[in-house]
Amino acid sequence: MSHLPKSNLWQTCSACKRHVHQGQWGEFNICPYCGHYQRLNADQRLVLLTDTKSFTALPPVNIKQQRHFPGYTVKLQEAQEKTGETEAFLAGTAAIKQQKVVIGVMDSQFMMGTLNTVVGAGIRQAIRTALSQRLPLILVIASGGARMQEGILSLLQMNTILAELTKLNEAGILTISVLTDPTMGGVTASFALESDFVFAEQGATIGFAGKRVIQQTNSAALPIDFQTAERLYRQGFLDAVIKRENLRTYLGRLLMIQAGDLNE
Amino acid sequence: MSDALKVIRSADRIGTQQVIAQLITNFFPLHGDRVSGDDPALTVGTGLFHQRAVVVAGVNRGATLEERQRYHFGAVAPAGYRKFIRGLELAEKFKRPVITLINMPGADASVAAEDDGQNLAIADAITKMNGLRVPNIAVFLGEGESGGALALATSNRLIMFTNSLYSVASPEAIQTILKGHVAAKQTLDHILPMQAAALKKLGLTDVVLPETGDLVQSLDNALQQQLAQLSKLSTAELIEQRQNKYLELVAQFAE
Repeated sequence: MSHLPKSNLWQTCSACKRHVHQGQWGEFNICPYCGHYQRLNADQRLVLLTDTKSFTALPPVNIKQQRHFPGYTVKLQEAQEKTGETEAFLAGTAAIKQQKVVIGVMDSQFMMGTLNTVVGAGIRQAIRTALSQRLPLILVIASGGARMQEGILSLLQMNTILAELTKLNEAGILTISVLTDPTMGGVTASFALESDFVFAEQGATIGFAGKRVIQQTNSAALPIDFQTAERLYRQGFLDAVIKRENLRTYLGRLLMIQAGDLNE
Repeated sequence: MSDALKVIRSADRIGTQQVIAQLITNFFPLHGDRVSGDDPALTVGTGLFHQRAVVVAGVNRGATLEERQRYHFGAVAPAGYRKFIRGLELAEKFKRPVITLINMPGADASVAAEDDGQNLAIADAITKMNGLRVPNIAVFLGEGESGGALALATSNRLIMFTNSLYSVASPEAIQTILKGHVAAKQTLDHILPMQAAALKKLGLTDVVLPETGDLVQSLDNALQQQLAQLSKLSTAELIEQRQNKYLELVAQFAE
């Protein structure tokens, strides 16, 4: 047989460009040379955040009509083959440090986690499940914003998700957002920042307008830490910036406080 | 599409100031968001519409170059959305219907807007409009794109002039991602509905107004008619009608 190594054993760090052996990433997928967090898919994220074998996915979203934007079907197929998922959002019930929650994860590897009719329906389903089962809702966000290929229907996910989220607030259900790299565009202008607690993973890029667009319309150089989690924290938009390896502990501690709430 | 864009972006397109001057008496504008300053790109105020007290919020694009610079070309800043929320709170306090007038480019793409929390200001405004306890009617005088337009347009009724458009991003931005894909005879509106007639077919737009005759006069009639319908609804019915309209529309595609 071939003396060549098996494929995919070596990968390139997206930040420092050095070659990293599979075994060197460690359980948190952090570059051993520069410390950069590699982007995770939904499954990897769930493994890091939830108790072993506690995750049960919600029923899949029923896709009724597909938008016919040129080249879109091919793009979707490519993303499905690459990730093994049908869309850019995965949600279910799970336990975090023995406390039951509804958790939804956006997948930046699937068309950059963009918000479309199916992702929006999935998020609303997660919110409704949290409401009907009276469980805290944790949304792990990674998104480039609204998915252009579905036009106005992508935009309308923002107000419809917010409408459902308001019902959780009225019902006294805890909501937590964890913003990961990248969290941009319409997602930040709707549900991402509207939770009771908003955390960001260290090093995440978070913003509304894209850097390139801002650069095109403004001649001045952008601040060096522009649209970083650290800058947003300093400006008071985030409750904490957390290392990847500490996220689960943080969530667990916050969930635990609920045991001290008076139950009517 | 390009003809329509020329019309709605031209210097003599009807704008917020003209509509207010002709339809609202005793108009009194709010100034500032009580946090960071005043955004001249968005006029928010209260006045009388056929003897009925209303709150009006409208984007200013400006006609002359000087005006356009002063209004920041209609790119509403975070302070504008916060002033808008002040107007909505005033409307709820006095049970006044809200009318929004939209002709604006996409987001205010600037370091200042990002640092001032543009995303959160927009999200707050959408949330407030979603659950507004009084009737709201959105009017597209021209174009409206991205989350900022959504904040002004989430309403019980959507009125659009024929040439106006409502889109996730500017037609130019969508053309860019379409490059190399578009079939020559297909128009952009055909691929992605964004103009008044296509959005009416989709069930998003309620009233399409013609571009002929006196535009302000036909807007006047449409507003009176829609307000009369909405004034029959209770607070709970208004919220339900508004939220269900959007939820039912998106549920047609995925649920």
